[in-house]
Order: sequence, then structure tokens, then C-alpha cells
Amino acid sequence: MSEVLQTSELIQHTRNKSDMWPRIMHALPALLLVVIILVGWELFTKVFNIQQFLLPSPSAILAAFVDNGEQLLVSARMAIFESAGGLLLGTMLATTAGFIAARWNVAGRALIPFAIGLNAVPTLVFAPIMNNWFGSINPLSKMMIVVTLVYYPIMFNVVRGLTLVDMSALEVVQSYGANEWQIFTKVRFPNMLPFFFNALKIGATLSVIGTVVAGYFGGQRAALGVWILNQVILFRFPPAWSGILVACLIGISFYLIISLIERLVLPWHNSVRGQAD
Amino acid sequence: MTTSDTLSIAAALPSAQTRSLPVRLLHRWWPLLVFLLLLGIGWEATKLVGGQAIKIDTVILGQTVQTTYKPPLKFKFANDLNLPHLWDIVGALGRPAQRGGPPLLLVLLDGAFFTFRVALVGFALGSSLGLLLAVLLIRSKLLNRALVPFIVASQTIPILVIAPMVVIWLRAGWFSIAIIAAYLSFFPVTVSALRGLRAFSPEMLDLLQTYAASPLEIIRHLRVPAAMPYLFVGFKIAATASIIGTIVGELPSGISEGLGSLVLTFAQYYSTGPAKLWACILVVAGLGITTFLIVQVIEMVALRNYPRRPDTTA
Repeated sequence: MSEVLQTSELIQHTRNKSDMWPRIMHALPALLLVVIILVGWELFTKVFNIQQFLLPSPSAILAAFVDNGEQLLVSARMAIFESAGGLLLGTMLATTAGFIAARWNVAGRALIPFAIGLNAVPTLVFAPIMNNWFGSINPLSKMMIVVTLVYYPIMFNVVRGLTLVDMSALEVVQSYGANEWQIFTKVRFPNMLPFFFNALKIGATLSVIGTVVAGYFGGQRAALGVWILNQVILFRFPPAWSGILVACLIGISFYLIISLIERLVLPWHNSVRGQAD
Repeated sequence: MTTSDTLSIAAALPSAQTRSLPVRLLHRWWPLLVFLLLLGIGWEATKLVGGQAIKIDTVILGQTVQTTYKPPLKFKFANDLNLPHLWDIVGALGRPAQRGGPPLLLVLLDGAFFTFRVALVGFALGSSLGLLLAVLLIRSKLLNRALVPFIVASQTIPILVIAPMVVIWLRAGWFSIAIIAAYLSFFPVTVSALRGLRAFSPEMLDLLQTYAASPLEIIRHLRVPAAMPYLFVGFKIAATASIIGTIVGELPSGISEGLGSLVLTFAQYYSTGPAKLWACILVVAGLGITTFLIVQVIEMVALRNYPRRPDTTA
């Protein structure tokens, strides 16, 4: 079955769960490499006199970031609204579909292949249609693209979370004569939550990508995607990269916010406890 | 245990073995078919309630009588521009895209074939890199510590977002698009290969070591076979991603052969021929799903001797 892979999985293999010092030591080579890369990148562009349109130096991108601060703030606000709105809409739709698919076998056999098919479709090409439906300057046109992008990972994880339950836990509550609603609230729903938050984290980055790339098909002039593309067309690359930096920052902050909510909602879960201690 | 516990798309009844193939396929896929049919009916029903007038020619006693059906309501999203009739979309495939040109379907299939080839190159590059990385990470602790942060960091770069720049930057025509596809597809292969290469059972390893198997033999007879089901999970994601990467990469590239540029062209002329864009999107969707199914079929053939696929989703 197709599924969603996670960066966190890679990290878990290398994570050291003991006290602070080994963890710093562990992160040190990575941090050093980042510094070396940034310095190397800067020197590379200076020494070999690389032209801006090929690869702007980190300092040029940072300068463009500061120069276009006001514009980027407006763009960022729009991108946050569109991404978050799309993520919210998509989550509601996908979670509902996931509940239905997990509850009724027949519905699952219709909805799950449909979701897999939708996931195989580059739904970003729906952007011109959505621009026609809602109007290209309407934030809804971008939100709908985000919905098609986040639908599959969220629905798939909700179904997995609801169905891949601990069989012994299920037997215990059944032997106590629990009805279906009680099984749902005591076993299935708590089991689903970690899956759900993983999916939300995937959706966090996807939502920003969806908003920006949908902007490449047109939208308000200040929209992040439209603005980046206009800079590229004008061969103003450092500002374009600073716009991408903004997109990355939004994606990362979404991810962090969702992680924070996960910790608050799921203090008991193993994967969270492992990070906390 | 409720029926949903055993929910699985691969679920087939034991008795299904004795039935003929069409019956088995129908038995497995009817819920999806009904769902798609309902979507289509909903589409046309919306048009019947709030669409535009439909002219119907009926032949009565050799006389052509034209009647016009006027929907009771008017929805903006359901007019012929925003929601063309399904038969118009399918019909557009058969008509020439330009006056005197070949039928739209042929143009689109040409584009799909070009896109598929570029995606295939990207997929091959990306999966090879992904496999290589996984083997390196398994073999060396040092490389693991040095590379993993970068592999993780690489996924925070929204490659689809920087696609316009990558295409200009590499200035390599279709090959720069293939690189975008490769970038998107290496990560799922790396992660699934890492998981797969660790998925062998320790008892089997003990057994092979008692028989004094060499490291190569252990890889060949234990690690690789155990990794296969996991690998295909990664391949499927990578194949899908490579198609998406190729089409998004084609958008700013100015390369006119692929489906990506066809989407842009028909989007520009949407007001004169909305059905063409819809037909184009239909082919894009078909390409994505076909690519996924190709990997699925290869998996079914390659893993036909596997007793039962382990739960690769766990």
C-alpha cells in the first residue's frame, strides 16, 4: 500500500535519548557542516564571481530579504491565511472521509482508492480551473489546491490510526461489553491521534507549497507565488530567493505550531515522551 | 471485531479464486465504480439544476424537432464555462485542437509520452541515488551522522517552489526538469530502503550465520529479499512524485512538448474552449494514475512468491 514517509523517522534512527551534552555533541557535526556550507557558498560566489542569476550569495539573499521586508510581510500574511485556511478545510474534509472509510468497509473500498488516485494526480494543474471558479484573486482558489494536496496524507493516516488498533486493547474493552461508541472514544480515537498529528505535519509543508505554486498560475500581485515568479521573470534572483526563504519559514513555523499542539494534546504518547526526556 | 478492522484495499474473498477475472475485478472495485458514477451523476445533476440551457434534437417521424431544456436555477459555477458537460470534455478529445490539426487526444498523448519519459529519467536518477544513500547510511555510522541532517534539510527546501529557478539555473532543457523529478523521488526511496534493509528477521540471520554464510550471501539471500516489499512502497511514492515534479517543472521551462505546457496553453484559451483544459487535466490525471499502476503491477509480479506482504505501513 502506498503511504506517507516522514523525516522524523530518519531522525529517530539517529537520535540519542540521554542527557543534553551527548545530544549537543551529536548535533555538532551537522551544525558545523551547515556553517561550512554557508561560508563555502558565500566564498564560492565571491571568489569565482558567480553571477547573481545563477546563484545569489547568502548575504545577497539576506540583503534582499531586508530590502523587501515590507512587501514580504504583506505576501507572508496572505500566504499564511491561504495555507492555513486550505489546511483547515482539507483537514476537515479528509478527517470526515477517513472516519467514514474506517467505519464502513464499502465506503472505504470506494474512498481509499479514490484518495490514492487523487494523490497520483498532479493536482497543482487544477489551479487554472480554481482560478476560474473562484476568481484568481480570491484566496479560496489557492485554498482548494491546498485541500487537494493535503487530502490524501491526512485521510490515509486517519484510516490507519482508526483501524491499526491494539487488538488486545480492543478485546479488553469488548469483554467489558463496550458498545461501538465507547470503543471509538476509548480505543480508536486515542490511537488515531498520533497518526493524525503526523499527517498534519506533512500537511503543514504541503500547504505552503500548494499556496506558492498555485500562485504561479496567477493571483493577487502581492501574493507570495506571484511575487516570486515576477522577480524571476525580471531576473531579480536575490529577492526571489528571499521570497522562498519566507515560504520556508512559514512552513517551518506551521510544523512547530503543530508539534506544540501535539505535545499539549498527547502528553502520554511514546513518541512525544521520547523527545521530552 | 467489526468489518473495518480487516479493512484493506487488497482484500479479496477466499472464494474469489474460483471466479473468472472480470467477476473478481468487479467484485473488488464496484464500490469505487459506484462512487465515481455518483460523482459524474452529481456533476450533470448540478448542470441540470443550475446550468445553462441545453438544446436537444429529437427526430419524430422524420422531422427534427428542437427542444430547449432550461434549468430552473442559475449557478455561476455550473455554467458551461466553469463546469462543461462531461460529454463535451470527452468530445473535445476527439476534435482537433487547432483547425486542421490532429485530434486533441493525440496531441495530449504525445505530451503525456514526453512528460513520462522525462519523469522516468528523473525517477531512475532519484531512485538510484536514494538506494545508494540508504546503503551508505546502513554501512557507515560516520556518514550517517554527516548525511542525515542534510537529507532531512533537503526535504525542507520546497523544490516545486524553486522549480522556475532550477530550470533557469541549470539551463539544461528537459534534463533540468528530470533533476527536479529526481530530487523529489530520492527521499522516499532512501527512507523505505533504510526501513527495508533493517527488516530482516534476526532468527534468519542467526541461521545463515550458523551455515557460515558470507556477508555477500547474507545480503543476497536475506537483506535484499526482506527489503523488497518496503522498497516498492518507496518506489510508488517516488514514481508519483516524479510525475508531479516533471509537470510542475515544465510550467516555467518554456519546453513546449510536455503536458505541463499544454495545461498552460489551454488555461490561456480557457474562455474559448473550457472543455479542452478539462480534457487536458483528464489526461494529466490519467498519466499520474497509470504511472502508479505500472509500479503496482511490477510489484505484483516481482513479489508474486512472497507468502504474505508484511505490513509495510507499520
